[in-house]
Amino acid sequence: MAATPVARRLPDVIAYFRTMAVFVAGWWALSRWTSNPALLPSPFAVVDAIVELVADGEIFMHAGISLGRMLISLGIAALLAIPLGLAMGLRRTLDDVVDPVVELLRPISGIAWIPLALFLFGIGNVLPVFIMTYAAFFPILLGTIAGVRSVDRRFIDVARTMGVARRTIVTRVVVPAALPALLVAVRLGVASSWTAVVAAELIGAPSGVGYAVEWYRELLMTPQVMAFIATIGVLGYLSDRVLRTLAQRFTPWATKLEGVR
Amino acid sequence: MRSVVLPLTLLVVWEAWGTASGNRRTPTPTRVIGAAIDLVMSGDMIEAIATSLARVFAGFAIAALIAIPLGLAMGAFRSIERNVDPLVESFRPIAAIAILPLAILWLGTGTPAAILIVAYAAFFPIVIHTIAGAKLVDPTLLRVAATMGLGRLNTVRTVIVPGALPSIGVGLRIGMGVAWTAIVAAELAVGAKAGGGGSGGIGQMMFVFYAYSIELNRIVACMIAVGLVALALDRALRAALRYAMPWNAQ
Amino acid sequence: MTPVKLRLDNVVKRFGGSGGAQTTAVEDLTLDVAAGEFLVIVGPSGCGKTTVLNLLAGLELPTTGTVALDGRTIRGPGPERGVMFQDYGLFPWHTVRGNVEFGLRHGPAGASLDVAARKRRVQSTIELVGLAGAENKYPHQLSGGMRQRVALARLVANEPDVLLMDEPLAALDAQTRIILQEELLRIWGQDRPAAERRTVVFITHAIDEAVFLADRVAVMTTNPGRLKAVIDVPLDRPRNDATRAHHEFQALGQHIWSLIRNEAYRATVT
Repeated sequence: MAATPVARRLPDVIAYFRTMAVFVAGWWALSRWTSNPALLPSPFAVVDAIVELVADGEIFMHAGISLGRMLISLGIAALLAIPLGLAMGLRRTLDDVVDPVVELLRPISGIAWIPLALFLFGIGNVLPVFIMTYAAFFPILLGTIAGVRSVDRRFIDVARTMGVARRTIVTRVVVPAALPALLVAVRLGVASSWTAVVAAELIGAPSGVGYAVEWYRELLMTPQVMAFIATIGVLGYLSDRVLRTLAQRFTPWATKLEGVR
Repeated sequence: MRSVVLPLTLLVVWEAWGTASGNRRTPTPTRVIGAAIDLVMSGDMIEAIATSLARVFAGFAIAALIAIPLGLAMGAFRSIERNVDPLVESFRPIAAIAILPLAILWLGTGTPAAILIVAYAAFFPIVIHTIAGAKLVDPTLLRVAATMGLGRLNTVRTVIVPGALPSIGVGLRIGMGVAWTAIVAAELAVGAKAGGGGSGGIGQMMFVFYAYSIELNRIVACMIAVGLVALALDRALRAALRYAMPWNAQ
Repeated sequence: MTPVKLRLDNVVKRFGGSGGAQTTAVEDLTLDVAAGEFLVIVGPSGCGKTTVLNLLAGLELPTTGTVALDGRTIRGPGPERGVMFQDYGLFPWHTVRGNVEFGLRHGPAGASLDVAARKRRVQSTIELVGLAGAENKYPHQLSGGMRQRVALARLVANEPDVLLMDEPLAALDAQTRIILQEELLRIWGQDRPAAERRTVVFITHAIDEAVFLADRVAVMTTNPGRLKAVIDVPLDRPRNDATRAHHEFQALGQHIWSLIRNEAYRATVT
């Protein structure tokens, strides 16, 4: 969306603020009508809560912890899934052997592992990272395999007719050609693992945004609950944005569909 | 032959390692199967899955009934999209499970909250893919309709809806997967916080086996059940979609 | 007597597994290509033209029969038989220069060049095809005609013995095609003495293009693919707009069309 001229985007920007204003106004009215601050706080109470949490740094502390866990999980998942995916995409035989295990494990979502993981790791830092790594692993693996398989056969033929060695074809043709799809796979992995972070922290961690949401719910401090929910949303959105910008920077030739984002 | 080598090897290794550890509670394939049989025979497993599925179907249906018409409207009419999209895009990054504490606050720890979470979770993939499907209808087809004198609404009904169906189908499949994951997560979380009582469903059952009876074999049996149900739901939905769209190559 | 560069001898190529589902792409194919010749293969869709090219490139091996370069059987692809593909196959992650340089950098064709020599050759090839100034652009920033030139440059930079081209101009509009046909002949060396020209095997379904470019035209039929006739094109070189107006040009075109016409009709109704 980089090059759309400002003039064309102006109606969208106006509509954005208008819609959000209507939403906040409606929320405020509803909160006045129910007048139960524990049930539905007014938007202003939530803003106050956010300001307070930012001021004492609590938001940044929890956000930092959750983001840190996500980065670690993503790193581990990518380090495992991308090479495996490249190998499986290139070698049919390896794919035939490994795929059944992948297909058996994949439907068991990361979240279903939480009880077992609680028993194995207890409440702490390891559990969220384990769950998040597991959650990110499958989208990245499957996306990488698909990306490798979708490399246009012609690129490989071109390199073959130039006498390029097979290993060089993999590194210099297949990987660059599959790069756009790989980055999409990583984005999906991030989304998947960020969803898992909340569940994992809510149940099994002593810190992080998921934990904070639950902590404040038990205290019936709903403005703070909403503040952290909003933080979860903002962080999820920003992570995706960062990755999209990186993709645009490193693979400028890959045209993105305007539709499915 | 090749396709069963690795799973079988892993199962054998797991069985050996588990039995060798000496501890009767360590899960092994045989013990897990035993636990699974126990659960099915006692009816607990069936009941738990049925409870969870009922919630999933209810939530999924609500999500689809709202998301599909909304998505079509947004995809077909730019002005609607412009006005609704800010809300959709603002809430999309907030996972359903993050909303759970609010849902519990408003609706308690029972089925209504569960259905809300499922509906919220399934809503986004369905609406996103419906919008994309409506937008990506071949513009030439729209021009054909215009040159035949069809009005805007008629065009939506006869060209955009069928054209968007494949994408809607993808959204429904993803939505179903997300819905199932969401219900398991929600039931787990409620089970954890409500002290193992009251909500029913397979997620809650899994938590009980962790917290109260440390029945690891039963936990693993439930995990497998979760996976199997996910597969079954996807297959069933795919078959239904194939029936609804015989012209589609997917 | 010009030596034979490429020889197809009684080649048969079948696809599909053993048992019922085999298709015969080409059959009874015997054809010699002389060194320095510009040979064009025409035929209706599905007549196996691309299969012939793939066999010459070594991307496919014949089911029976032999395919040979300079008398030696071809066993696989290689830079001495450079290929230009129908959709260019330009690497989107490389600039023009990166694309042209690719075969020299990563393949045997550039093994004997040091970095400086390689850069010089890349630059002179880019200038040869008329793209000086566009070296740092990416394929997605180029027009169809420009991409065509890049694909040609990438091919020529490896200095292959033989150039194999699979409908390279098919994706271009008619006007650009005419310009690039002349450019192609210029780069091939139609202004130079015959001994300095490289061997070209060129595939097209456009008959006027075939007659304009070729020294000889091989006409194939379909189902299964067979060589129907090989026709000499004794028009003078260098070829240009005047050639197209020549009555001999028209006559040759008509003759070739008469050989293909029925099959072309059938292709639109089956």
